[in-house]
Amino acid sequence: MSTINFATREINFKLVYYGPGLSGKTTNLKQIYEHVPGDSKGEMVSLQTEDERTLFFDFLPLDLGKVNGFKTRFHLYTVPGQVFYNSSRRLILRGVDGIVFVADSAPNRLRANAESLRNLRENLDEYNLRLGEVPYVIQVNKRDLPDALPLDMIQAVLDPSRRVPLFEAVAAEFRGVVEPLKSVSKLVLEKLAQKA
Amino acid sequence: MLEPSLDLYGETYERVDAILSDLLVKCHARYALIVDRKGFVLVHQRAVWAPKPPSLDSLATLIASNHSANVAIAQLFGEAAFRETVQQGTDVGTYVEELGPEALLVTVFDGTAALGKIKLFTKQAVERLRTLLDQERGPPPPLDLDEGWSDDNAKLFDGLFTKRTQP
Repeated sequence: MSTINFATREINFKLVYYGPGLSGKTTNLKQIYEHVPGDSKGEMVSLQTEDERTLFFDFLPLDLGKVNGFKTRFHLYTVPGQVFYNSSRRLILRGVDGIVFVADSAPNRLRANAESLRNLRENLDEYNLRLGEVPYVIQVNKRDLPDALPLDMIQAVLDPSRRVPLFEAVAAEFRGVVEPLKSVSKLVLEKLAQKA
Repeated sequence: MLEPSLDLYGETYERVDAILSDLLVKCHARYALIVDRKGFVLVHQRAVWAPKPPSLDSLATLIASNHSANVAIAQLFGEAAFRETVQQGTDVGTYVEELGPEALLVTVFDGTAALGKIKLFTKQAVERLRTLLDQERGPPPPLDLDEGWSDDNAKLFDGLFTKRTQP
């Protein structure tokens, strides 16, 4: 649920990048940080281990600008993908408005993708939320891998009904990074507009 | 569970703002903020003598996340939550109090303030704020998000990634 600050006339949304370890969630945020001009972004905060794995979360605030007198702001978060950091993942999902699920194209990560999506469902359940109720999109990352799995195969595992917007990406090269963010942002904006 | 939200507007916002200003004066703190549990700043005040604060977005996000983690740690030991969250560095410290289920009151202080005073006056401010917020308030002002609102935002979004390439 978005946070609306009537006094400062801001509408704030929380978007979370979720997915298995090393799928490229932090890379997405780093690329966004690199490509957004300075006046539209805040500091990027990364809570990492010494070997640069996400320990708690990465955080990047984005300012879209003003529409109808209200400033629209997105707070982007990543979760730690490693299996044993589930408590942290659950905390980051608190109050989530939209989700980008970052899947890995590597053949040996298909099961990790499926387990991460199951884990996402379970963690949302802690907040009495269902995945279908929260705007979300899928980004299939690392499409440049020589042995990348066919897109259809990944989609068959993650979204067999093909209802969820899906995007191919090579996040490390800033390919396919903007589209999923734009898509999920549009979904959360439309959801609020329908409620208002 | 839908995240409870704290909508502040109009006269209530002004009075909340005044309570925070009063808190700063009474305990000689640098900054006082109300942040929601998701890490968004709802209100903030800075003492006239205080240096420019760090990024409030980062501060609010880290405070809210840290608080959530502390609650989770407390629950591992069968506690509902830890009663106090104080962090003290060489020069600067933070003190966090829960402001009901929706938000946190954060007081940032330095060596010129006594921790006892910070705790005392922050707790008093929480009581005053709770009393104020528990009073019946009118409905929030209408948002007036017309049909084009999300489309206009989408256009702004496109602009976000094209600004850099423009001459």
